[in-house]
Amino acid sequence: MQARDIAVQVPTVTMNDPIAHAIQVMALGRLPGLIVVDAEQRPRVVLPGTQVLKLAVPAAYQEDLALTRAVDEAHADVFWEEISDMRVGECLGTHTVRPVTVKASSTLLEIATLMAQQRSPLVAVVDDAGLLAGAVTLDRVLSALALTRPDSDD
Amino acid sequence: MSAVLALVIFIVAFFFIATEKVDKVKVVLVAAGLMTVLGLTSGGEVFFSEHEGIDWNVIFLLLGMMIVVGIIKGTGLFEYLAIWAAKKSKGRPYRLLVMLMAITAVASPFLDNVTTIMLVAPVTVVVCNRLRIPAQPYLIAEVLASNIGGAATLIGDPPNIIIASRAGLTFNDFLVHMTPIVVIIFATFVVMSRWIFRKAFKYDPRYVDEVMALDERKAITDHRLLVRCLVVLGLIIVGFSLHSVFHVEPSIVALVGAGVMLLVTKVEVNDVLKEVEWGVLVFFMGLFVMVSGLGHTGVIENIGTWAADAIGDNYFAAATSLVFGSAVLGAFFDNIPYTATMAPIVEGMAAGADPATADALWWSFALGADFGGNGTAVAASANVVAIGIAARTGHPISFWQFTRYGIGITIVSTVMAWVYVALRYF
Repeated sequence: MQARDIAVQVPTVTMNDPIAHAIQVMALGRLPGLIVVDAEQRPRVVLPGTQVLKLAVPAAYQEDLALTRAVDEAHADVFWEEISDMRVGECLGTHTVRPVTVKASSTLLEIATLMAQQRSPLVAVVDDAGLLAGAVTLDRVLSALALTRPDSDD
Repeated sequence: MSAVLALVIFIVAFFFIATEKVDKVKVVLVAAGLMTVLGLTSGGEVFFSEHEGIDWNVIFLLLGMMIVVGIIKGTGLFEYLAIWAAKKSKGRPYRLLVMLMAITAVASPFLDNVTTIMLVAPVTVVVCNRLRIPAQPYLIAEVLASNIGGAATLIGDPPNIIIASRAGLTFNDFLVHMTPIVVIIFATFVVMSRWIFRKAFKYDPRYVDEVMALDERKAITDHRLLVRCLVVLGLIIVGFSLHSVFHVEPSIVALVGAGVMLLVTKVEVNDVLKEVEWGVLVFFMGLFVMVSGLGHTGVIENIGTWAADAIGDNYFAAATSLVFGSAVLGAFFDNIPYTATMAPIVEGMAAGADPATADALWWSFALGADFGGNGTAVAASANVVAIGIAARTGHPISFWQFTRYGIGITIVSTVMAWVYVALRYF
């Protein structure tokens, strides 16, 4: 089984999209993460769901759990209003990691290992030119694993 | 020929470090590799010569303190103090500014400046956001206070660690010679800040309630951890002050302190090791190898001889040059590579002087390099970190906005330091 066999088409966002839009795309599509692409549809970043959530947390709190504890409930409930106008690129900053991608011909083992290693429930599938061809989600990998499970003898 | 080659490698590497065109860790690794591969320094010297190679005392002192700070960070103490200060100020901007500056300046001599800023800056942004006032002046003031406060002790600022190791100066030497002038300069800065940041002191009292809604007590969840950390930190400081009595290197005090803190706080070792800035340690090692290349090929000796000839017996002129020269150069370049490079040259200058005058040259060097760190936005790591936090939190600080404040404070602090050197040592 190869990546092309279990890949699905997923909605993507760009660096210029507002954070609010990015979260909406993920929530409505019930996606485990988000793929951020450039103008040529080349994956720039693949964000696991928790990291999409991180985009919505104002930078002042991101590395400071003690500070978040000190925030009163009224303000804590609306924390993400502070950055709702900001764009994905602004929240990601300049130091982004290499996107989690596989070729269409990658095997199930490659995909599973990459997902586990990168702690990403979403992997972008790219063609030979590096353009986005689809995505493999954790659900799809687990389903494929379940289907390929060898029958037990008893 | 080898001297020219070493100098070229060094200058090119320094250019890339100063301009930050390439990751500085990569730069020093390539430059250090070239120095050794081309035979401009030897492996034996690099690893086993305290003065000609990597100064392991500096590396392990930094490592030990990074572990200590990594554990203290988790206590919530700084968040508690900063929020407490904000509430005590009742939102009045000047009072808020002074209290935040005081917290930073008191913490900086014992923790590294970058960590202090990383702990205080986010709270500052949150408080300023609630008061609907710009955070930039407060962040800049904290950085300036941190660089001034860090100059007070051996462990407060990386240039001091390098200088102490090279010159054989103790923790107490720094307390006796650096702390008095640091206190005076900080007090002057507090008074000056009333005027320097006067435009930042407009606020609307209606928003003060939002600051008062922050609950600083919730920042600390594990009081036992906090108490243990403070006790061990206190013992580490006592250890530093006694290291010369027991003939123990400061790095050993820091490493033993880190070990004790790990034991008594029972935090996960792997969690703490993630807090260690390994890139910074590698940067220091590469830097020492680069300087080793200059030393091995005779470049430093030549510059030292030239400097010694130039100053002759006029050590006051040498001290003056070190205070002002280090402040100017330290302002435009990262003051860590500057100090690592200049330290062996200052050693050469001090070689012909009597011990008291030699020490005066080292203090002049330390004061200039430390206060130069306030000169521009790129002069010290804490400045760069604060500007990064400001940008990410929607309060961008431009190079010139920082530098405008920084240069003024650097000039005042450097002149005061020079007067101090002149009155106390000459």
